[in-house]
Amino acid sequence: MSLSAVRYLQRARSWRPGPRLVSVLVGGGAAVLVLYPIAYLLQASLSVGDPQARPPEAYGLANFADLPRYSHIFGNTLLVAGVATVLAIVFGFVMGWILSRTNVPGRAAFEQLMALPYYVTPLMGALAWALIGSPASGFVNQLWRALGGDGHLVDINTPWGIAWVMALFEGAVAFVMIGAVMKSMDPALEEASQVLGAGRLRTMLRVTLPLVLPGVLGAAVFVFAEMLGSFSAALVLGLPSRFYVVTTAMYQLVSQYPPRFPTAAAMGVSLFAVMFAMVWVYRRIVSAGSYATITGKAFRPRVMDVGRLRWSLLGVPVLTIVYASFQRLTTVFPRVDNFTLANYATALSLDAVRSALWNSLLLGFATASLGVVLMGFLAWLIYRSRLPGAGLIEYVLMFPQAVPRLVFAFGMLWAWLVFPIPIYGTLWLLLIAYLTVFLPLGLRTISGVILQIDRSLEESAQMCGATWGHRLRTVTMPLLKPGLVAAWLLLFIASVRELGASILLMGPKSKVITPAIVESWFSTSSELTAALALLQTLAVAAALAIMFAVARRAVQAGGE
Amino acid sequence: MNRRGFVKTATFAAAAPLAHAPFAAAQSRTATKVLDFQTLADVAKAEQEGEVVYYGHDGEAGIGVLLDSFKKDFPKIKTSYVRLQTGALYAKITAERSAGRFGVDVLQLSDISPAIDFQKKGGWEVHVSPELTAYKAEHQSAPAGHYTWGGVSFAGISYNRVKVKPEQAPKTWKDILNPAFKDGVSAKLATSGMQHAQWYVLRKLYGNDFWQEFAKQRPKGFDARAQLFDRLSKGDDRMCVLAEYAGYTLFAEKGAEIEFVAPPDGLPATAFFIGVVNRAPHPEAAKLFVDWALAKRGQAVYQNQKILLYGSLRTDAPPMPTGKRLADFKLLFPTDWNDYVASHPVFVKEWNSIMGL
Repeated sequence: MSLSAVRYLQRARSWRPGPRLVSVLVGGGAAVLVLYPIAYLLQASLSVGDPQARPPEAYGLANFADLPRYSHIFGNTLLVAGVATVLAIVFGFVMGWILSRTNVPGRAAFEQLMALPYYVTPLMGALAWALIGSPASGFVNQLWRALGGDGHLVDINTPWGIAWVMALFEGAVAFVMIGAVMKSMDPALEEASQVLGAGRLRTMLRVTLPLVLPGVLGAAVFVFAEMLGSFSAALVLGLPSRFYVVTTAMYQLVSQYPPRFPTAAAMGVSLFAVMFAMVWVYRRIVSAGSYATITGKAFRPRVMDVGRLRWSLLGVPVLTIVYASFQRLTTVFPRVDNFTLANYATALSLDAVRSALWNSLLLGFATASLGVVLMGFLAWLIYRSRLPGAGLIEYVLMFPQAVPRLVFAFGMLWAWLVFPIPIYGTLWLLLIAYLTVFLPLGLRTISGVILQIDRSLEESAQMCGATWGHRLRTVTMPLLKPGLVAAWLLLFIASVRELGASILLMGPKSKVITPAIVESWFSTSSELTAALALLQTLAVAAALAIMFAVARRAVQAGGE
Repeated sequence: MNRRGFVKTATFAAAAPLAHAPFAAAQSRTATKVLDFQTLADVAKAEQEGEVVYYGHDGEAGIGVLLDSFKKDFPKIKTSYVRLQTGALYAKITAERSAGRFGVDVLQLSDISPAIDFQKKGGWEVHVSPELTAYKAEHQSAPAGHYTWGGVSFAGISYNRVKVKPEQAPKTWKDILNPAFKDGVSAKLATSGMQHAQWYVLRKLYGNDFWQEFAKQRPKGFDARAQLFDRLSKGDDRMCVLAEYAGYTLFAEKGAEIEFVAPPDGLPATAFFIGVVNRAPHPEAAKLFVDWALAKRGQAVYQNQKILLYGSLRTDAPPMPTGKRLADFKLLFPTDWNDYVASHPVFVKEWNSIMGL
């Protein structure tokens, strides 16, 4: 054997994939996950032949030209998304300020209560508020009339009502983001303001607010994206008042025969433009140095903190749902003959509960576990690797945040149907779908923590001769651990709650729970739906409790 | 042109060549008696296949009841299903088939338009069930064996007794235009085959302006009958103009203060359409399921389970659980199916506009 051949073999034996290669592979793979379905979505939006033909018979811009017909729906969408964002941000800012900057009694309890919406499906919130605030049958209005009032006191079936529910149940992330920014902010400036004679309110408006403004704007962009894709609240509360938003309109368009996929796709793609501009603004804010406002650390303290208190502090909406789930026909005035266990008996006999709930928990576990590894690496790649094009990868990976999941699901349906590996109709497809649509969520959560880790720690390890893999394993990952745990929890809960992507991608043997709950609302009754939603919430709580118990025991065992 | 004429004309060229071979094969097999019905399926093979995959439009609970009943009769055959609105369901199955994925055994649709379209595409397996002898020719595809009318649903008007004074109670279809009901009226969205049927037959009866007048009521649209009756029972709406009898009985039994009105001009009706899917992964189990569904056993489930409550079109069908037979109602079916299918795009456009979409 020649010397060069020996050297070659030695080199081959000692070869380890370098950061560049691994980064290109992982980053490229993730980008493909996102861009592959988007290509199909764009193709569908340009289809002008038979709307059911795949691939399209002809291409053109007629679907986009037709969109002005739906201008009122776009207007509705922007209205509720805007109002809900403002509500969520104001609420998040005020509550964040109270809980991080004041010594108001019961702060801990408030924090627990604020996190409650994370654990319930938005459909449950919408359903609860429908029971509370519908003009005729809402509990508040029934009581109002029983006390001699006329008409209705509140009407939840208005754009304001829809925005209120969206802000409460889907905008809680604003509180988490802003609250964390405030907590991580140096209080010295506020103290200086007060020493100089400014009151608390003045200090909040003149010092605190400007300091956290970049963070507030970042949160606003993120929350606005969430609201544009919101489905449940608009579905439950909008239809009774003939109020459609883009997601509910698209759902109707594709449920009709023949399904108008091209129109729905064009609607979704046009939202791309809006959201792309928002993401651009978002990135501008982040790159301007205010990245701490979107940190993964932001999620860490609250989501990790699953104590008994959270589960005992049930708000009025949750109690309403519990009450409704034991009723034959829900009314605010209890009657003995109206109470029943039949809803639970039916719920537990449904395939939706028997297999779908298990599938949901399994998928939640898999998505969260694989997701933190994938998204942790991607966050490192974008913010630490100095790989050319890392910023572009971040842009690409944020795409799923920029379009409603229901629309994105169409792209995935078409893309994975023709994919040569037969994963269509299996849980694997849902796993891929969840990993794709939750990329922005995981990335945001973990990247915030990465940004707060001083680069010098890794550089020190490098100076000591550690390879990049060793550095990643022994320095970066341990430091990231809290952020990864937070991301795991967020991904787990988000996966179990997921609706938009699951509706179309479920197969006969890969059912998940949230679409079944929505379907129940369509085809059975509010009472059965309430029972199903509660069972889902209890299952998530039980799963989390078990996991925490196991993790705690593992930590204790490790410490002994 | 009547329905049979239309279907024959529209589908003969497309369906006949595709149908020939399996049709001949199906005919060569002798029907056997299983339990109390006749089937062309090889039951042993069906049990060996061990599974039937069903795509349907009924609610989760309804499909659950149906499949559980089949499983009780054939415990060796597992069941699984996908449930979507007919439009989305049909889009899913056609997308799957165009990508070369054939995972469905039995398809049930609530609208004849996609059923005919599926026939044109050669999507149905030709399976002339021995149980078809109990069905009139007009309730079968043409040629027979592609799909069959598995049951009928029909709709009248329903109102909330607490919210509507007796003197205001609707009695005829024209009463739904009464301005007193403005902002308190509900119907289904354009996703519904039943809504298309109602739109079509009442338009024929009362003219093209009828629904434009109705639009002034600012009706609220929903996807399913359960939602309509849920709201009506709670008083969120005062009147439902597409009140399916099945939904009415379900909520009336719960104690809801609602009334059903059968206008003298008749009740718009539509069927569901069921058949074996071509290239089914479990062909014998699929045939067995369809034979069972069309037989008295399956029809009893469709007709007696209150979550389904489809009137059976079997000529020997017993009365419904309410004691009434389909013949006791004046049902309004479209008479010109060619025109009916052609009217679908017009309906969707007009109905979307009426519902504010």
